[in-house]
Amino acid sequence: MKFTIAREQLQEGLTAVAPSVPAKTTLPVLGNLLVEATKDGVRLSATDLDVAVTTVVPAEIDSEGGVTLPARKLVEIVRELPNAGVRVSAIGDQRVQIECGRSKFKLLGIPKEEFPRFPPVKFDRPWRVTSGDLQKLIEHVAFAASTEESRPILNGVLWELRPERMRMVATNGHRLARMELPAAGGKDSADLIVPPKALEQVRRLFDPSEELEVARTDNHLGFRSGQTRVFTRLIEGPYPNYEQVIPRENDKIATVDRQMLTAALRRVGVVASDQTHRVRLAFSGGTLRFSVNTPDLGEAHDEIAVSYQGDPLEIGFNASYLLEILKYMPTDEVRLTFKAPERAATVEPVGWDDPASYLCLVMPLRLID
Amino acid sequence: MGRIVVLPDSVVDQIAAGEVVERPASVVKELVENSLDAGASEIVIELEAGGSSLVRVSDDGCGMDRDDAVLAINRHATSKIRSSRDLVGVATYGFRGEALAAIAAVSTLELETAVEEDGGVGTRVRAVAGKIESVDRIARRRGTAVSVRRLFFNVPARRKFLRSLRSETRAAVEAVVLLALARLDVSFRLVSEGRVLLDAPRTSQIAERLAALFGRRFAEELLPVDFASGAISVRGFVQRPADARPAGRRAYLFVNGRPFKDPLLVRAAEAGYRAAINPGCRPSILLAISLPGESVDVNVHPAKLEVRFRDRFLVERAVEEAVARALRPMEAAAAFGSGSVGFRSGEFMAAVAPGLSGGEASPVTEGSLFGEAESRAPLAPGGVGNPIQVFATYIVFETPDGLAIVDQHSAHERVLYEAAMAQLKSGGAAAQHLLLPLTIELEPSELAAFEEHRDLFRSVGFEAEAFGGNTVVLHAVPNPHPRFDARRCFEELVADLTRGRFGAWKNRLERFAATYACRAAIKAGQLLEPVEIRELLSRLFACELPPHDVHGRPAIVQLPRAELERRFGRS
Ligand SMILES: Nc1ncnc2c1ncn2[C@@H]1O[C@H](COP(=O)(O)OP(=O)(O)OP(=O)(O)O)[C@@H](O)[C@H]1O
Ligand SMILES: [Mg+2]
Repeated sequence: MKFTIAREQLQEGLTAVAPSVPAKTTLPVLGNLLVEATKDGVRLSATDLDVAVTTVVPAEIDSEGGVTLPARKLVEIVRELPNAGVRVSAIGDQRVQIECGRSKFKLLGIPKEEFPRFPPVKFDRPWRVTSGDLQKLIEHVAFAASTEESRPILNGVLWELRPERMRMVATNGHRLARMELPAAGGKDSADLIVPPKALEQVRRLFDPSEELEVARTDNHLGFRSGQTRVFTRLIEGPYPNYEQVIPRENDKIATVDRQMLTAALRRVGVVASDQTHRVRLAFSGGTLRFSVNTPDLGEAHDEIAVSYQGDPLEIGFNASYLLEILKYMPTDEVRLTFKAPERAATVEPVGWDDPASYLCLVMPLRLID
Repeated sequence: MGRIVVLPDSVVDQIAAGEVVERPASVVKELVENSLDAGASEIVIELEAGGSSLVRVSDDGCGMDRDDAVLAINRHATSKIRSSRDLVGVATYGFRGEALAAIAAVSTLELETAVEEDGGVGTRVRAVAGKIESVDRIARRRGTAVSVRRLFFNVPARRKFLRSLRSETRAAVEAVVLLALARLDVSFRLVSEGRVLLDAPRTSQIAERLAALFGRRFAEELLPVDFASGAISVRGFVQRPADARPAGRRAYLFVNGRPFKDPLLVRAAEAGYRAAINPGCRPSILLAISLPGESVDVNVHPAKLEVRFRDRFLVERAVEEAVARALRPMEAAAAFGSGSVGFRSGEFMAAVAPGLSGGEASPVTEGSLFGEAESRAPLAPGGVGNPIQVFATYIVFETPDGLAIVDQHSAHERVLYEAAMAQLKSGGAAAQHLLLPLTIELEPSELAAFEEHRDLFRSVGFEAEAFGGNTVVLHAVPNPHPRFDARRCFEELVADLTRGRFGAWKNRLERFAATYACRAAIKAGQLLEPVEIRELLSRLFACELPPHDVHGRPAIVQLPRAELERRFGRS
C-alpha cells in the first residue's frame, strides 16, 4: 500500500469516520481505523460492531492494500501536519510510514484482516430520502428512545417508510415522541427499528440538501450519499403497538407559553427529589399551579397563566420528562391535553408552519398526599 | 399452736446467699469487686474444679484490720455507705455489705488480710457455713486474700445445679473479663487448675486490654463510639458490620463503670446498625453509658446485674444513635492492610470507669468523665476527588487518609434501602405510570407472596392488578434510576419474597425494603457515566450509614494511605 494525499483531504475523511470509533473497547482493533488504498481513492472505515461508517477520499494511489492504524494517533498527527501532500506507505502488513514535508512518522497498526467486516448491504433498489427530512425526524424523536437495556426494542427508533410519508417513533415506556412527514420515498413500505447511535451518525454526516439512498439487506441497513456510507444492524421487531396508547379522548386542553412553562418547571424542580423529579400541576380556569414537596428537602410553589378548557385537574409528572419534551417543541406555544391523573398526557406544537406533524406523550406520576 | 416461726439466722443467710451467690462465678465477681473497691492494682484469681472446690482472690488493696476482718463476714457490714442517702449515685461496686456474709454462709471461707499500718502482721479468719471458727494472727503483707472452699457443701440442692466444669469456668472468666474491661488500671490474672486463662496487665490503652482479653483480631474489628446527648454519654466500641458473625458475639454494657445486663439496650444498639448487618449475624458491642447518678438505680438486682433507668427511652435512644453515628464515618468502612482505622485508644477507660477508680467514691457527674467528643464528620460528597470506575463494578476515589473503594451495587443498595424505608413509612413513593403496561406471569406461590405484600409493593411504586390466572399487570412502577428494569426487579422481588430470601429479618418493612433495594440497585458489571458515578456517591454520602450495605457487607473499603506508604517503603 502506497499513496499520496492532500492533508486537507485526509483530514476531511478522518473527520467523517473518527467519531464512530468507540471511546472504550475491549477489542483493540476497534480503536483503529481501517485505511485502504483502492482504485477510487483512500477508503477510511470505523466501526463499533453495531454501526460502521466508511468514506472514500481522493488520493494518488501508487499501490493498493490496507492496514489499520490507531485512530486517535492518526487524527493527532494529521492535525499537526502542514498543508501539503502526505505520503503514506506500508512497511510489511502492520507498519506504516507517514511523510509530509520534512516530518516523518512510523506507526504500528494491526493487520487489516483483523478488522471486523460489516455484512454488505446491496443498494440495488433503494429508498430515496432527503437528508434534511431525515434529520428533522431524528432530532425530534430519537431522544425518547430507552437507554435501559432490558427491552432492546425500545432502545431503537421505529422508522416507518410508506410510499407517500415517513414517520419516526421512540419511547422508553414512560414517554413517547412521534413525528410524521409527507415524503415520496418511492417503492415499498417498511418498518425499521434503528439504533439511535446509527441515526446520530446519519444526522451528523450528511448535508440537509443531500439525497440519501437507504437500503436493507437482511438485518442490516445502509445509508449512502456520495462516497460516504453508514451501516447499522437493525433491532428485531415487532415494535409495540404505539397507536393504541395514543389517547384520543383527552378532553382537558391547555395552551401554554413554552418558555414560561419551562422556566416554572425549572424553578420548582430545584427542590424536586433527584430520584423522581416529581412535580404536581394543578389546572383550573386560567391558571396552572405548580407545587413540589420533597420530604427532607422542602417545597416550592409557582403559577403561570394558561388558557385551559375542562374540569379542574391535578396531575403529577416527572419534571425532567416534561422539560425534555418542551426542549424539542418547535413553537412558542404548546398544547397539552389530559384525560385523568393516571392517563397519558399529550404535548403538541401550536401553529407550526411545517408540513410535519409532531406529537409527544408523557405518562404521569402517581400523586401521593 | 402457731405455725409461723422466725427462721434461724443460718437459714436466713442461706436464703440471702441464694440470691447473691448462684454459682462460682458469682463468688468470683463479688470478691473481685471487693478487691477493686479496696483500691487493688493487682488481682489474682485462682480456681479449682471450676470454682466449686476453690475460688481464691488475692489483691494488694488496702486490707482490713482485725476488727474489720471479723465484721466483714457479718451481714450488712460495709465500709462503703453509711445511710440510704449514700445509695444515690453510689460509685463503689459494693454497698450492701452482704456479699461476704452470703458467700461464707454456703462455704468454708478463709480471709487473710493485713493493713499497711500493722507492719507485716495480719489476720486470718476462718468460717464454716457462716460461723467463725477461728481468728489468728499471721504474718503477711498489705492486701487481702479470700479463699472460698467447698461451695454449697451445705446446700446440696444448689450443688446439684452446678453445670459442667467447663461452663462454670467459662462463667467465672466472663465475670473477670467484664471487670477487666472496666478497669485498665488494674492487672488481672486468672489461673484455673494451674493454667493461666486470662492475663491482662495494667495498661492505659484499651486496645491492649481488648487484645489481652480477646485477641488482636477482634480488637481490630471494632469501631469507636463516642456520643453525648444531654446528660447521657455513650462511649465504647462496636464491631464493624462486615465482621459480625452468626455466633460468638460479645455484648458488654457498663453504666457509670458498672457492668450490667440489658437485652433491650443491646437491641437498641443493634437497631443502630440500621440493617447494615446480615440478619443472621449479631455484632459485638462494648458500650459504656455515663449519666448522672440519680438517673440510674443500681440497687434493683440481688447480684447487681441489672439496673433501672429513670428514663429508659432516653437511654435507648442515645445508645441507638451512638451506634449509628459510629458506623457513619469513612473510618467505619472496612479496611485492609495495616495503619488502619478503628482505634482511638485511651478514651475508653475514662468512659467506662469514671467514678470507680481507686477506692474513693466520687459522685458521678457529667463533664468530668468525658473528653471532647472528637468530630468525625462524614465525608463530604464534594470531597471525592475524581472518582473512577474499575471493573465496571467499583468506584475508586481519594480521601484525606487513603483510597476509598466503593462497591457500586452495595452502595446503591444502601441508598435505595434508606429511600424505600422512608417511603414505606410515609405511605408511598411516586410511581411512574406506564405507557405500555407490563404483563407478568407468576407461579401460584409467587402470586400468594405478592398478594401478601401488596401494600408494600404499592408503597414503593408498583401498581399491579391481578389479571386472571397467575398473571399480574403492572400499570405503574418505581423509577429509581434511568437503568432501572422494572420487570426484572418485580420478578426477582416476588421470587425472593416467595423463597424467604431475607427471612431472617423479623421486621416486615425492613425485609421488604432490603429485598427491593437489592433487586432495584444497579448491578456489578454495569458501566456508569461520570455523572452517574458522582450522583451515586453524593446520594451514598447523604445516607445514614454510607459504609455498609444491607447484607452485612461493606459498601466502602479503604486502602489507608499509611498502608501504601508502608508497601512503598516510605514510612
Ligand atoms: N478485698 C478486700 N479488701 C479490703 N476490704 C474488703 C475486701 N473485701 C471486703 N472488704 C470489706 O468488707 C466489707 C464487706 O464486704 P461485702 O462484699 O460483704 O460488702 P460490700 O462490698 O460493702 O457490699 P456488697 O454486699 O454490695 O458487696 C466491705 O465493705 C469492705 O470494707
Ligand atoms: Mg462486696
